[in-house]
Amino acid sequence: MDILACPVCKGDLVLNVMEEDDTEVVKGIISCNACNIDYPIDDGIPNMLPPENR
Amino acid sequence: MTKIKYNGIEVTVPENVYEPSEDSFMLVDTVIYYVSEGMNVLEIGTGSGLIAATIQKEYEKCSVIATEINPKASLCAKHNGVNVIRTDMFDALKKNKKFDVIIFNPPYLPTVDEQIEGWLNYAFDGGPDGNDAIESFCERVIDYLDDKGTVFLVTSSLASIDRALKIMEINKLQPEIVNSTKHFFEELVVIKASKSRQ
Repeated sequence: MDILACPVCKGDLVLNVMEEDDTEVVKGIISCNACNIDYPIDDGIPNMLPPENR
Repeated sequence: MTKIKYNGIEVTVPENVYEPSEDSFMLVDTVIYYVSEGMNVLEIGTGSGLIAATIQKEYEKCSVIATEINPKASLCAKHNGVNVIRTDMFDALKKNKKFDVIIFNPPYLPTVDEQIEGWLNYAFDGGPDGNDAIESFCERVIDYLDDKGTVFLVTSSLASIDRALKIMEINKLQPEIVNSTKHFFEELVVIKASKSRQ
């Protein structure tokens, strides 16, 4: 999380963990409150593409 | 599904993901020599994850992070043990995050009329002269590179090697060719670059 920024505005993000194991967040949501965009984490992979590019 | 084994690392590569090839092997062989324990390493467009996985295995104390735009390749790299973020090049990375080593095996095939369908096109299509992705990478890499950091990039005579070197110089990088091999229809080179002093 400490290396991630919103790909649209480069602003800070908020992490909401739904499932984690010893090493990482397996499922969750990363939100940019400024852009009002949610980036999902599935299978431990943050999908940081803007919704129109997914 | 294809299994590729190289230097003790085995990666499983599904369809629609770039299958590690001579360029990948040459890049990883070169990079592994320059990386040292504890470095922060970033690979852009990791594909199957072979290069990132090899570095992580060789240097356990390195922080190795990779980006990838193709959803199938992201999942493939993850399954191959790579810490991957699905994003377009550097898009989702904070600008204050600096890396000691940044690696890129770009798409460098000049686009003729036809493109490959789907996400796999990202692994091959280098634009009209083969240098589009290299140019886009070089314009941005400096923001993420430590002052003493090093960039490693592979390219081919199918694009223009001289043009790639020029693009790097324009973007305040000091490039040198550190590895080259001749193949049946192309010459592959690994370019190593650091920040220009002036």
